[in-house]
Amino acid sequence: MDWITILGKAFWCGWGALGFGILFNVPPRTLFAIWIGGAMGGFLKFTLLQLTAGVVLASFAGALVVGFSSIPIAHFRHVPPMIFAIPSVIPLIPGVFAYRTMLGLMKLTGTIGPDYTQIISETVNNGAKTLFVIMSLAMGVAVPMHLMRQESVKNIRLHKKKH
Amino acid sequence: MDQRENNEAKELGSLLLDVGVNLLSSGASCSRIRITMRRLATFNNCVAHISVAPKSVSLTLNDDEDNTLFSGMKSIAAQGVNFKTISGISRLSWEALEKDFSVLQIRDELNRLLALPHYPRLLILFFVSLAGSGFCFTFGGKLPEMIIAFGATFCGLFVRQEAVKKKFNPYICVFMGSLVASLFAGAFVKAGLDINFEHAFATSVLFLIPGVPLINCFTDLIDGNILNGLIRGINALMFALAIALGLLAAMLIYNLK
Repeated sequence: MDWITILGKAFWCGWGALGFGILFNVPPRTLFAIWIGGAMGGFLKFTLLQLTAGVVLASFAGALVVGFSSIPIAHFRHVPPMIFAIPSVIPLIPGVFAYRTMLGLMKLTGTIGPDYTQIISETVNNGAKTLFVIMSLAMGVAVPMHLMRQESVKNIRLHKKKH
Repeated sequence: MDQRENNEAKELGSLLLDVGVNLLSSGASCSRIRITMRRLATFNNCVAHISVAPKSVSLTLNDDEDNTLFSGMKSIAAQGVNFKTISGISRLSWEALEKDFSVLQIRDELNRLLALPHYPRLLILFFVSLAGSGFCFTFGGKLPEMIIAFGATFCGLFVRQEAVKKKFNPYICVFMGSLVASLFAGAFVKAGLDINFEHAFATSVLFLIPGVPLINCFTDLIDGNILNGLIRGINALMFALAIALGLLAAMLIYNLK
């Protein structure tokens, strides 16, 4: 295991998350938590990738960790969980796969040469990876929020008298 | 129903619509909009029936005996992700319950929230560019690529912000940002620098990815708001296409393959 690389990537994932947090105008009190969340998700993803897990599974695990840790942070920092979770998973988005898919699609509009089948296979492969990673990121963030919401709804005191 | 009650319902209704519309334009999921509006309505002894459309919110307020007190609809002004508004409104809805706010107090607090400033522009530019170089590193880029990604993101985001200010179509804003960012990154590749241009190109436009619509798309689909989810998904896809178009235009200009 190359821990130095993993830690370096996790570190930069944290900055990626923080940058997006600032772009989305999050409350300043959540910035540190977003950095930690991004770094945590990145750490898990790249560790799993080194353990030769697939990129989809690794990204899902990273997003899931962010999703679950967003619940206590939401209570601690008094913000909805998504405020913390969405910027934190953005560094896990598979930009390179999306880029290769797009280039592949453009190549497919050209003339049919001997390597056409190869390009189709690569493009479909990259596209499927992109799609599934993005889906697993959204799932990883959304599912914990849904599982925990039941509990916080109980805290609402309904039908409170106005006067 | 006397006049006083009528006015109160009107005030509450327009407040709830403002809350809903601001949540919608700041990038909240449909269920969050419903939950927040309903929470405030229940607290004021009303039953709220809410319909969230892609660009508007409709609301009918009934009393306990199902008499309609208020019915209205409001469309959003401008769309722009703003998590400060979302967290502020969520906090406000809880505070109102705890401290027993009146409708007027909630309205004042909402106005204060909406007037809160964004981060300074230079700070946004700097940190988003830093995020760009961070992405570059995670995709395997080295220091030169990271510096290029920083510069590309800075220029691209600057152009996009300017385009948004001039009220261009949102997809065109993203296209411009993507084009400028990839033109910046491509210039170094074209100049013959020994860099991996895939890393430089792919990460220079990552700041434009529609992360909030993408994740909200799935959140809405899971919640059963299928139509809203699909619309958000297609919106995200349009942004992705705009990014791709900008990137391709730059590659055509530089004649890169």
